[in-house]
Amino acid sequence: MKGLLRALTGILVFLVCWQIISFFISKVIIPLPSETLGLLGQHLIDPRMLGAALQTAWKVGLALALVLLLGIIAGLFLGLSAACYDMFRPIIMFIQAVPVVSWLTLVIFAWGVGWRGPVFITFVSLLPTAILTTVSGMRNLDKDLLEMARVYRVSFKTVFYNIYWGSLLPFIAAIIDVTIGQAWKVVLVSEYLAGGSGLGVEIFNARLVVDSAGAWSVTLMACLLGIATERLVKYFLRRMPKRWGPV
Amino acid sequence: MGASISLAGVYKEFGPLKVLEDWNVVIAPAERIAVLGLSGSGKTTFLRLLAGIEAPTRGELKVSSQDVGFVFQEPRLIPWRTVRQNLLFVNEQADIEQLLSHLHLQGFADYYPTQLSGGMRQRVNLARALAVSPELLIMDEAFASLDLKVKVDIMNDVLGLWRKHRFTMVTVTHDLKEALYLADRILMISSRPSRIVHEFPVSLPEKRSFASPELMRLEGELLKLVCQQ
Repeated sequence: MKGLLRALTGILVFLVCWQIISFFISKVIIPLPSETLGLLGQHLIDPRMLGAALQTAWKVGLALALVLLLGIIAGLFLGLSAACYDMFRPIIMFIQAVPVVSWLTLVIFAWGVGWRGPVFITFVSLLPTAILTTVSGMRNLDKDLLEMARVYRVSFKTVFYNIYWGSLLPFIAAIIDVTIGQAWKVVLVSEYLAGGSGLGVEIFNARLVVDSAGAWSVTLMACLLGIATERLVKYFLRRMPKRWGPV
Repeated sequence: MGASISLAGVYKEFGPLKVLEDWNVVIAPAERIAVLGLSGSGKTTFLRLLAGIEAPTRGELKVSSQDVGFVFQEPRLIPWRTVRQNLLFVNEQADIEQLLSHLHLQGFADYYPTQLSGGMRQRVNLARALAVSPELLIMDEAFASLDLKVKVDIMNDVLGLWRKHRFTMVTVTHDLKEALYLADRILMISSRPSRIVHEFPVSLPEKRSFASPELMRLEGELLKLVCQQ
């Protein structure tokens, strides 16, 4: 309760600061909080805006699913083979260093404007994190457990399910934890620059008509959705170790 | 029936490091062997050879069965798996309830390793070794970290199971009393590169007492041999 009160106080202080600043700076740059929050309220019941939010959300979901699936598989292989890791590490580091905007040329030439661009850009931006975290999980496997399994001649399938998967689970949770917030941001940027629909496109449209309050209200909507998804995922991640047993 | 083991001129080297040198020993089925030696002398390497984790650099090692149970010094239980799942991990057909009942762990099948005491975890370690119905039971300083009462209780459990199943038993220990309590024959080994320097037959009845004068007398003899090294 005390925590909630402090958080609400923090939000109130922020709004007051926002209101004060907006008196001194042009409304085009910093819109009034009342106007922005009013628009946000309208967005939350506007079917068009809810549709745009859904468009962004499914792109985030798809990109994350691909990142997890392919990142974990690639990480497993690279974790098992030091030679493969040495071979592909420079490429992974390169992909990790490429800025989001640089992928734009590629996706626009390849697919034009549409959903594929944001999904692809989010995927390539987050894939290195998933791969490198999985490799790190593989390197942290308990060698004593693996040796025990060798002594008892346990099949690889059983060892994989019981030892590898169990050991990797906290790392997979870390991948989700780290990437989910980033995924929202990258999808919004990609939509803004190359998306056919979604909240990023709504921000772009608001900017076109110099509607700062509109742009910020959509941004706030995206933030709320991002935080809600992150909280939801973290809630499930906290429950997962209980199902899996104390780690 | 226990496994028979024979080592003829067995050497084990790790690069330039010579660990075992010219080991020659024959172990009969159902025999109980204890290996005594200094830390770093290669006792664990010998056990790893028996378990098939390592191969000799030279010489011939024969173990008549692949049904090997290994009681590790630290339990090596999968932390996110229950006791039951840890036992099924090595043998999907294992009779869990019976194994747990033999080792006084009834009611703990669905506990996680972190919820058990050190002694209980070591019992699960032993139960896992027995879950494969071993013909050779290897114990690597399995009782080193336990307090005396728990240690004696678990050793009695092991001996009770040995009387029932007659597996061959090879145990590595620093503890002279433990070696005398568990073994029919004690192999004393030198420091690295280790050789078998003495074979000490334990002339005690099958059922032994940890505090018997005869066991203490043998402990004195053994101690003299250790000090002579």
